[in-house]
Amino acid sequence: MSALASLVRAYDRMAARGEVPAYGYSPEKIGFVISLNLDGSVVGIPTDLRRGEGRKRIARALAVPQPPKRASGIAPCFLWDKTAYVLGVTAGEGKRTVLEHSAFVAYHREWLAGSDDEGLRALLCFLEAWSPERFAELGWPEEMKDQNVVFALESQRLDGVYIHSRPAARDLWTRIAAAGEKNQAVCLVTGERGPVARLHPAIKGVWGAQSAGASIVSFNLDAFSSYGHKQGDNAPLSEAAAFAYTSALNRFLLRDSGHRIQIGDASTVFWAEAAETAAAEAEALFGFFTGDEKGTERIGEKRIEALLAKLRAGRPVEDFRPDLPENVRFFVLGLAPNAARLSVRFYLEDEFGVIAERYLRHMERMRIEPPPKDETPSMWRMLIETAPQHKSDNIQPNLAGEWMRAILTGTPYPLTLLSTLLMRLRADHDVNALRVAILKSILIRNKKMEVPVALDLANTQPGYLLGRLFALYEHIQAAALGTGVNATIKDKFYGAASAQPRRVFHLLDSGSANHLSKIGKQNKGRQVNFEKQLGALMDLMTPGSDPFPAHLPDEQQGLFALGYYHQRNDFFRKAEKSEEPQA
Amino acid sequence: MSYGVRLFVSGRWGLFVRPEMKVERVSYDVMTPSAARGILEAIHWKPAIRWIVEEIHVLKPIRFQSIRRNEVGAKMPARAVGTAMRTGEIGDLMLVVEDNRQQRASSVLSDVAYVIAARFEMTPKAGPDDNAAKHLDTFNRRARKGQCFHQPCLGTREFPAHFELIEPGALSPPAIDESRDLGFMLYDIDHAGDRSSLFFRAQLDKGVLRVPPPGSKEIRR
Repeated sequence: MSALASLVRAYDRMAARGEVPAYGYSPEKIGFVISLNLDGSVVGIPTDLRRGEGRKRIARALAVPQPPKRASGIAPCFLWDKTAYVLGVTAGEGKRTVLEHSAFVAYHREWLAGSDDEGLRALLCFLEAWSPERFAELGWPEEMKDQNVVFALESQRLDGVYIHSRPAARDLWTRIAAAGEKNQAVCLVTGERGPVARLHPAIKGVWGAQSAGASIVSFNLDAFSSYGHKQGDNAPLSEAAAFAYTSALNRFLLRDSGHRIQIGDASTVFWAEAAETAAAEAEALFGFFTGDEKGTERIGEKRIEALLAKLRAGRPVEDFRPDLPENVRFFVLGLAPNAARLSVRFYLEDEFGVIAERYLRHMERMRIEPPPKDETPSMWRMLIETAPQHKSDNIQPNLAGEWMRAILTGTPYPLTLLSTLLMRLRADHDVNALRVAILKSILIRNKKMEVPVALDLANTQPGYLLGRLFALYEHIQAAALGTGVNATIKDKFYGAASAQPRRVFHLLDSGSANHLSKIGKQNKGRQVNFEKQLGALMDLMTPGSDPFPAHLPDEQQGLFALGYYHQRNDFFRKAEKSEEPQA
Repeated sequence: MSYGVRLFVSGRWGLFVRPEMKVERVSYDVMTPSAARGILEAIHWKPAIRWIVEEIHVLKPIRFQSIRRNEVGAKMPARAVGTAMRTGEIGDLMLVVEDNRQQRASSVLSDVAYVIAARFEMTPKAGPDDNAAKHLDTFNRRARKGQCFHQPCLGTREFPAHFELIEPGALSPPAIDESRDLGFMLYDIDHAGDRSSLFFRAQLDKGVLRVPPPGSKEIRR
């Protein structure tokens, strides 16, 4: 099923629960209510609907008649709008304010004239009598400017009934929406014949897209249209379906919806189709895996603790099955902006159990000893390891989506991941647990290699051995010179040692001879100990072959980082152990 | 004698664009009937015959990958070409690629292989020299030799299709064991009429997509 079709189904389910506005209405941020008497005169100062304090006051989302799509033209909304349109006042320059206001008045004069509803009549009287100067005369607050405003009759204001929510207004809005010539065609989502949506409602909340919203379905240049069709006729989608998928998507994209996560540049939404509790549980679990902390609160700590304990213990994924909700159809959609349009980075639908199992397998491949601080790193946490300076802005655009897709579909990871990570390691020498874990998972998944979780003293892969040797040299240096060295051999040589061992290792070897003799002067036993360790390592190298090859291929460089990480942390652990009994 | 043919097609990539996502392109999960028709027509077509795709077998797992490419956002207006032809002035007849660059993302299918099972019908344009056996023979001969009028492609021109004839009587390669509802899929464009899109409800049944015959009720228009 296509992404749009499953979004339409998600909308239908939410509409049945009353979580989304009805067809033709959309939730918009409304700042103020202007209260009217029956004769159209205003009552007092408009009511502020915003909540919060200071500059962070957030306007309330009210279901209002859907706004028209405004690009550069002037198009008023019905029964609500920003003050420039409704009252003809704005805080900015407002070159077009007069035109906008008159368009608003003319539009309402046209549609409200014949109405006998007292609310609509009051609004019309208000508009006829209003002039922008009155804003100052009435002493209305400055901060009202450029907010969206709605109207209410004073008698009904406290009941939360606005003019646009009166039955007469609803009837009228249905008539307006149905007016105008519209092409009829078969909808490619529902298969039913109906009026085709020419422009689709905007989708808001995609990170990096224009704040006014962007479109998935749009034909904003000549080259995108075919067979002489214009706009929406290129892809016949009925108005109802267009409304449904955009409403559902907009709701999922809300900041706290519990349905969205940011993965690199891809704003990712996910939703489940099942009985209510199972669906909520699946959504919360998925959110938790991929980095939404709130997941924990929503499904209770215990469930997650149990999962984590199994994960930590390295239990096979088959063990997790009973902990996962069953018979839940799960959908994940990743969107990224591209020039006023949205592109689908990835879309997948599958049984939740299958998706979760794949994710857990990914986690299993990532398992490393000693573990990173955060044992279930979010996607974002993993991705910034590939970015210069650990900045989200520097994450490669396509990498995030491709990686996520690979994890959730169980396919090999993107090839650029390995080279990107190796490049980062060469550049900043930060051999941390997460990076090594990611390297390890790539080697297992893409290169089908056997890679150890913890220090493996019997592993004879050249990269792994060289990594261990490098860590040993560094440790010897620290033992000889103390930890106050400005540039350790890791800082100086990590990049070269991992890529071109022959160039560096004989230097390190002769350097270590000096360090060892210095250690020997203070503590002969320690020197002998180190020499034994060096000898043991060298013994593992295949006899006859060059111990220090001129180049290491990528996967061996990955192993180099792994060997280095394991060996180095082994020293730390030993140090801890030896100190404990004394203390 | 049956006029059915089976053709094995494969390629590194495939992109059978969904109409609603044809700008930032997203492919259908499976080759569309019109794309299959295009491949057959590349090998052999005459006004006397009309290809009808009956089945599309999916041989490899459905996998997506996304890529970004620089493309051109403008079209040369037909009127400008007409004017140039009339006046013989071609000075202004140009499209500067550098001014019309558009970066577009595509979600493409990677590593695809299908078997297209199709037949053809004679059209009213068939003359006295045309008969079905002759056209069937021509198609089989050409497909066997790998001949085509233009390089057939998997959805878009950038993704060429490799093809092989499956000899009559030979076994088809096995399809993947997967069944799913593919939603409404583009059947074809109504080229004879108002060039509107025709859709049908696509179901993948054990790796096989059955295409309704032309004019059947399953085709929505």
